[in-house]
Amino acid sequence: MKRSLSVLAGLGVFAASAALATPENGAISMLPAESALAEEVHFFHNGILLPIITVISIFVLGLLLWVIFRYNSKANPVASKNSHNTLLEVVWTGVPIIILLVIALPSFELLFKEEVTPDGKQVVARGDGQTVDFVFPNDFPESRMVSRASQLDVLVDTGSTRSVLKHRKDFTVKGWGERDLVVSLTQPAPSGASVILRGGRSTQNVSDCPMAKRYVDGCEKEVVLAPTMTLKVSGYQWGWTYSYPDFGSRTDPEDPGSFVEPEFSSNMLAEDQTTPELYRFEVDNRVVVPVGETIRVTTTARDVIHSWALPSFAIKVDAVPGRFNETWFRAEREGVYYGQCSEICGLRHSYMPIAVEVVSRPQFEAWIDAQRADAGLPAMFGSAATNLASAEAAAAE
Amino acid sequence: MADAHAAHDAHDHKPSFFVRWFFSTNHKDIGTLYLIFAIIAGIVGGAMSGLIRQELADPGVTFLTHFTGGDVDAALNFYNVLITYHGLMMIFFMVMPALIGGFGNWFVPIMIGAPDMAFPRMNNISFWLYGASGILITASLFAPGYGSQLGFGGGWVLYPPLSSNTGSPGPAMDLLILSLHLAGASSILGAINFITTIFNMRAPGMTLHKMPLFAWSVLVTAFLLVLSLPVLAGAITMLLTDRNFGTSFFDAAGGGDPILYQHLFWFFGHPEVYILILPGFGIISHIVSTFSKKPIFGYLGMAYAMVAIGFVGFIVWAHHMYTVGLSVNMKAYFVAATMVIAVPTGIKIFSWIATMWGGSIDFKTPMVWAIGFIFLFTVGGVTGVVLANAGVDHYMHDTYYVVAHFHYVLSLGAVFAIFAGWYYWFPKMTGKMYREWLGQAHFWIMFVGVNLIFFPQHFLGLQGMPRRYADPALAFDYWNSISTYGYYVTIAGMAVFVVAMIDAFFVYGRKAAANPWGEGATTLEWTLPSPPPFHQFNELPRFDKGDAKAF
Repeated sequence: MKRSLSVLAGLGVFAASAALATPENGAISMLPAESALAEEVHFFHNGILLPIITVISIFVLGLLLWVIFRYNSKANPVASKNSHNTLLEVVWTGVPIIILLVIALPSFELLFKEEVTPDGKQVVARGDGQTVDFVFPNDFPESRMVSRASQLDVLVDTGSTRSVLKHRKDFTVKGWGERDLVVSLTQPAPSGASVILRGGRSTQNVSDCPMAKRYVDGCEKEVVLAPTMTLKVSGYQWGWTYSYPDFGSRTDPEDPGSFVEPEFSSNMLAEDQTTPELYRFEVDNRVVVPVGETIRVTTTARDVIHSWALPSFAIKVDAVPGRFNETWFRAEREGVYYGQCSEICGLRHSYMPIAVEVVSRPQFEAWIDAQRADAGLPAMFGSAATNLASAEAAAAE
Repeated sequence: MADAHAAHDAHDHKPSFFVRWFFSTNHKDIGTLYLIFAIIAGIVGGAMSGLIRQELADPGVTFLTHFTGGDVDAALNFYNVLITYHGLMMIFFMVMPALIGGFGNWFVPIMIGAPDMAFPRMNNISFWLYGASGILITASLFAPGYGSQLGFGGGWVLYPPLSSNTGSPGPAMDLLILSLHLAGASSILGAINFITTIFNMRAPGMTLHKMPLFAWSVLVTAFLLVLSLPVLAGAITMLLTDRNFGTSFFDAAGGGDPILYQHLFWFFGHPEVYILILPGFGIISHIVSTFSKKPIFGYLGMAYAMVAIGFVGFIVWAHHMYTVGLSVNMKAYFVAATMVIAVPTGIKIFSWIATMWGGSIDFKTPMVWAIGFIFLFTVGGVTGVVLANAGVDHYMHDTYYVVAHFHYVLSLGAVFAIFAGWYYWFPKMTGKMYREWLGQAHFWIMFVGVNLIFFPQHFLGLQGMPRRYADPALAFDYWNSISTYGYYVTIAGMAVFVVAMIDAFFVYGRKAAANPWGEGATTLEWTLPSPPPFHQFNELPRFDKGDAKAF
């Protein structure tokens, strides 16, 4: 791990300046959301659940205070004998049901967004100043096919600007729900520009959608692309092992058993190796993932049950021996995000934190190549030195 | 049964001390034994929570090391042991014995106009199995669990592999399993006794639909016990054979699955939380009705709301397991089913308020506890609705938000119901009155204290502080120290309680009338002297003729 630590040190310029997502002493709300999906979780809690339960609690408190002041034995010496009121009973059975339905509908929508790992697909074509028709191969399973405008994003990237085209105004589509979707732009894509087609049923509100818009669901939607990598997490007493199967390869091409993947352990830093604020959060080797890309996380455990939690992304998934559990996240911003083991696992349960460093793609590739070099593998993305140089240049920007 | 008791029925003479308290078959004496047992367990469990809060008052492992000679690992283990046994003590040895064994034994037979429980000797063995269970769990505290560390420190849920040979190979866990076996057997026998008594020994003319709500609540609770405890017994027996006889029900390496244990456990565990609170619902109904001087509003709705809560309680268990890797459709089902529970619970809350509405309320000690219960239970209930949503529970699960939620419904719900019941029936059980202002002071200090303990824990949970952390990060320090101050206030409230009781027994010396609460107290226990005779209802009260009223 020594070499990759030095790589991390190279990225240190960036890491030190990025926001650190740690809890704040005395704070009373949820940790800031760092993914579009976590923002939806926040909206569901802060925008729907919290107001409803606050109103209900205050309503009950108000009723109690009212009966205390109005119907105490001084104010009302003779008690009524009424013990039935059918209408009232129907109302206080029916109204809660309606409230629960108001909660349940967004709850299910959110749950399915969280639970179904995105499978969106992106194809990129090059504009030549004339072509208006571009084909999106709609080769999903039947139940996941692109069949509505909300499930297809069309973007044009000229290198300097990226614009999201509007359905009907900027483009039309033929063949919803069929094998080949033909996207016809109203104006030909400029020569040299990239036409990016993203399709899939996994959609979410874009990040930073204001709360008021969320109530009426007037947010812009985006298609969430399928994971670009899998992070394998394995818990043990008391630390985590991370591996990157997508970035491993065979040392002997003929021998499947020779597969080697970047893999390292991550353990809490001792009290004197970090700041008091980061103690119990900071680790010796952080997980490194690229920003803006869907990351599939699979968890398992070697001894007892642990739980891999990242509150900033509103995810928590148990690491259970003999099982692989799956979740996913897509970080909106570069930075370092912390979590802590969330299933009691013995003596040092409070000492197995999780630290995830979200970096740019070039930085990530440089880091992967360094990890591969540690594992005795050749570089995957180019020489580590060139990548690192570009990463440092990016960090310096 | 009537023959066996004929000898002392006639003269109401009591057996000698040893025979009376150790061989007891009298439901009131057994109820008293259960209450004493619950008080002892409550003191132990409460002291444990004090150690927990003191450790969490400051960052770092700084307090429990005093008990371990400075050994940090032993202190970390001790912390885990404390949270585990605090939970088990409070659930199995404090709330259940107090509400079901204590108040249930004391007042269910009286309320339904029966001379005693249906199976008085089984009642006796139920209690003493609890005694044996208490000895085993205490022994387990002092037996090695993980390495040379004493006790089992894996949380009251006893999840394998932490509770199997992988995580806790020592005998502490085996002793704990046996302890829960005995506690479970005791509760099942007790539940059978209650069901039989309630179905067969109601006074003539007291139909189920005329039965007092406390008896209803114990009836529903007894069914939950009979149906859920065998599942716990099965799960921990499988755990026992995994540990000792080479099976691998929960061992993935042998083809088992640790998640199977969680399903079995929560199939018991979720009804268990209703077992803890339903008898409290019954008590609160009586108190609210008594002190409002009004009949219970919507009696049938109240009774069947409890039946509904009991039934739905069996089909929502996996909402405790949203993060274990359930499929999305399964989670969606458990979200929907769980939210349904809010409906009958809402019926109860609103019916209590409607009972007070139009009443002429006396704010005697039991009533202030009951009103406190209604509000705090509502707060705990609505955070339960939040947690029911798997989409947001992925954030909240295993954080202090959950700790705050279940302490609001149990520590502030069930425990407030126990104190309400205690102050309500204390004159009846002992024949003595307590000083009203001491009871009131106890309530107000406790009310402030417990809210100070548990309300900030919502904030800790929202900030992401995980449960069962001996050494939380610095950023959680502020609310943790507030929470610990709340514990000091609560302890002061408990001190007032002790003073009030010593005062009532030895100083105040005011005898209780048969019915100290006036016209609102209409159930049968208030027709008997305080304390009731050793055997009551030599002549059964009749509801089919005469003027006896059920509620």
